[in-house]
Amino acid sequence: MNLWRYFLGRLLGSLLVLFGVSILIFGVARLIPGDPARIALGPMATAEQVEMMRERLRLNEPVVVQYGEFVRDLFRGDLGISLYTKRPVTSDILSTLPATFELVIAAALIMTLIGVPLGIVAARYRNSGVDRAANLAALLGVVTPSFVWAIFLMLVFAFALDIFPIAGRVSRGAELPPTVTGLLILDSAIAGLWPTVFDALRHIVLPAFALAMGGLGTAARLTRANMSEVYDRQYIQLARAFAYTEREIAYKYALRPAMVPTLTILGLDFAIMLGNAFLVEMVFAWPGMARYGVEVIIRKDLNGIVGTVLVISAFFLIINMIIDIVVAYMNPRIRYRDQ
Amino acid sequence: MTKSYGPLVTAATALLLSGFTVVAPLSAQTVLRLDEHAIGEIDPAKATDYADSMIFYNIYDTLVIPAAGGTDILPHLAESWTIDGQTYTFTLRDDVQFHSGNMMDSEDVAFSIERKMTLGQGFSSLFAGVIESVETPDARTVSITLTEPFAPFLGSLVRLAIVDQDAVLENLAEGDYGDLGDYGQAYLSSTTAGTGAYTVSSHNPQELTVMEKNPNYFLGVPAEAPDTVELQYAIEPATLRALITRGELDIGDQWMAPEIKAAVSAEEGVSLGQVAGISSFYLKLNNQRPPLDDVHCRRAFAHAYDYDAILEQTKVTEGIAFGRRAHGPLPLGVLGSDENIPAGQFDLDAARAELAKCQYDPSEYEIQLNWVAGNPIQERIQLMMQLNLGEIGFDTTITTTPWAMFTELAATAERTPHVSPVNFILTTPDPDSMLFTMYHSDAVGTWASVDWVMNEEVDAMIEAGRTETDPATRAAIYRDLGHRLVEDQVSVFAYELVGVFPIRDVVHVPALQDEGRTYAVQGMNFMFREMTMN
Repeated sequence: MNLWRYFLGRLLGSLLVLFGVSILIFGVARLIPGDPARIALGPMATAEQVEMMRERLRLNEPVVVQYGEFVRDLFRGDLGISLYTKRPVTSDILSTLPATFELVIAAALIMTLIGVPLGIVAARYRNSGVDRAANLAALLGVVTPSFVWAIFLMLVFAFALDIFPIAGRVSRGAELPPTVTGLLILDSAIAGLWPTVFDALRHIVLPAFALAMGGLGTAARLTRANMSEVYDRQYIQLARAFAYTEREIAYKYALRPAMVPTLTILGLDFAIMLGNAFLVEMVFAWPGMARYGVEVIIRKDLNGIVGTVLVISAFFLIINMIIDIVVAYMNPRIRYRDQ
Repeated sequence: MTKSYGPLVTAATALLLSGFTVVAPLSAQTVLRLDEHAIGEIDPAKATDYADSMIFYNIYDTLVIPAAGGTDILPHLAESWTIDGQTYTFTLRDDVQFHSGNMMDSEDVAFSIERKMTLGQGFSSLFAGVIESVETPDARTVSITLTEPFAPFLGSLVRLAIVDQDAVLENLAEGDYGDLGDYGQAYLSSTTAGTGAYTVSSHNPQELTVMEKNPNYFLGVPAEAPDTVELQYAIEPATLRALITRGELDIGDQWMAPEIKAAVSAEEGVSLGQVAGISSFYLKLNNQRPPLDDVHCRRAFAHAYDYDAILEQTKVTEGIAFGRRAHGPLPLGVLGSDENIPAGQFDLDAARAELAKCQYDPSEYEIQLNWVAGNPIQERIQLMMQLNLGEIGFDTTITTTPWAMFTELAATAERTPHVSPVNFILTTPDPDSMLFTMYHSDAVGTWASVDWVMNEEVDAMIEAGRTETDPATRAAIYRDLGHRLVEDQVSVFAYELVGVFPIRDVVHVPALQDEGRTYAVQGMNFMFREMTMN
């Protein structure tokens, strides 16, 4: 029951934040220099044509009126027409978001499944060679930008060693599944297209690793730090005195309290990756939304900018909310404190 | 009991690394794979960019077409035409079938014009205020009456695609155009309703457009032409290089950095194709902003530009460069271009001599040298200008602006930087599409016209070129205009741009690889029906 109240409180807060973000981005997008109608129509367009386009985009209305119409359309699922692709922004986002989402999920899995165990091992064998090696690997992940990882991984594992494909989400000629979730690997699995599943997995390995490397390092270092702190507590020494195995101590008594702060950071990393995937998507020609987001800003595509930022913000808030709830579930003190 | 997942993990890894080659192999059909930097727009009423044009000339056709390697306009969907004053009467071919199977007729032409003008996007500006009426006396005849004599009209028609009226009307969605709904915008943004040599089988404007040969094309498509074409968008240069080297991309785009093109062309089976004569690079001088409102100061700037040094920097390999000497505003080969117009000369003494005649004292002005972010060659040029202008006494500041900001600055003469680098590509084979857009007073306020010439005599010459219908006389007008613009030094005519494309030897592209086969229109050199796959 307490958890439900906690959830509702978080949901209400998130909706308020989203509303604030929508106002902010709606205003900020209009402050970017350049007449969107002129940029879209090019230098040869006549003044009348530019004016006609401004009318069509309602740019001559006061900003407050424009915002009101935007909100009205938003409730109908209409984010307007993109001046960049000349298609509905909703279609653009729906056609690109699943690719980015799939990539980010894969990166998050790598980040968690490799980063956390790496931190556990480093904490368990503190100050040993294993710890130092894990620290070095984690540090490399943190300090090297994702696009450097992307180019490095592509050149080594795709170009030189020819183990993975260079670019794209799936090979030409692969049988594509009907869209259910938009996540190619999942949809292919649902349709029983196993060759496509494995082909898509091969395509996602390098971009997902490139995107995950930074977060992986953070996860490892955080887990190590938190686990080390827990290992120093008296109840761990007591557990050792009672002859619990190291494995039991690590997973049963040390990891859970250590994971609370790690989980929070991992959740934030997960959401941030959605916006940061741009350079990785560029390198691997990944047809995702991050690339779209950058292009619409460069071209002052007002509807595209607002739509993209709103989707990323909503995603960020949802992830944040989920993490808060998981953390509250793991640590009852949090939900009681917030009441 | 301890469970071991080792064998399972090993098997899965092996499967991944092996490539799980049960992905269905592609058929024996020939596939051409190429890329372009920007996204692809397939609605012909909205197409403007390079990628759009590449698609446009393959999936749609126009009434007329420019001659390869020349300035003539030739029949295409129209088999002939007559000009009676301001009325152009076209006789259409009777053997042209749309992709839907419908036969093309004069109603389709009238509909295409109406749709383009109503939407008001793409190259509709070429016809804005130009067309008074369109009549279709019979299925094979279209009469277009102009509001006033407009000689570039025929050339402009290479940007008017003929769309299948019936197919569009059958696929209207909700929209702002009354009974015409969205005027087929949703439909034509995902498929084709044209007559072209290729049809669109799938299209994602940000990722990939796949085109297939049209077996019913009215001119026929040679068997050697690619059966399928995959046009990919916005691939990172490092990735492009890897794809070409690995044989996974056949033609690279012209926007790759020269060093990457050089590295790729050193690979076995890769050569460089070129397109010249359709675009130029200018250092635009703001003619309205002191001290550049004085012609002598502008000439001093033109002498401070080191033409040879910059051309050296455009070299891709020893024999191939993406720049060649410019002779005035028009690329050589375009109607009215003139190789007798002297190319600019770097000469700091001559610059100082011109400066001595200028009414302004250089020490009183700080010159703003701008470059658009993402164009490293522009930065190098402005650094060179900063150095050389410093030699003749000017203080300068270099600014970098994103593209959107540059378009904003270009809106007023007061805010337009003193010196702005600009590339301009011919959008039609007619020089008017370049000269009017860049130099006429009615066209100021855009990135293309940041020289703010605003000169009545120049305007009059451009207008004379528009109303004169005799090609020889028009050429003479444009030659005179070219000399005049150089004499006034409205811009620094830096160099002609040469498009350089890495091409794998699996494909032959006549327009890029054979002498005299270039079309003087952006994107038209990628007509896939003219290419042969080896």
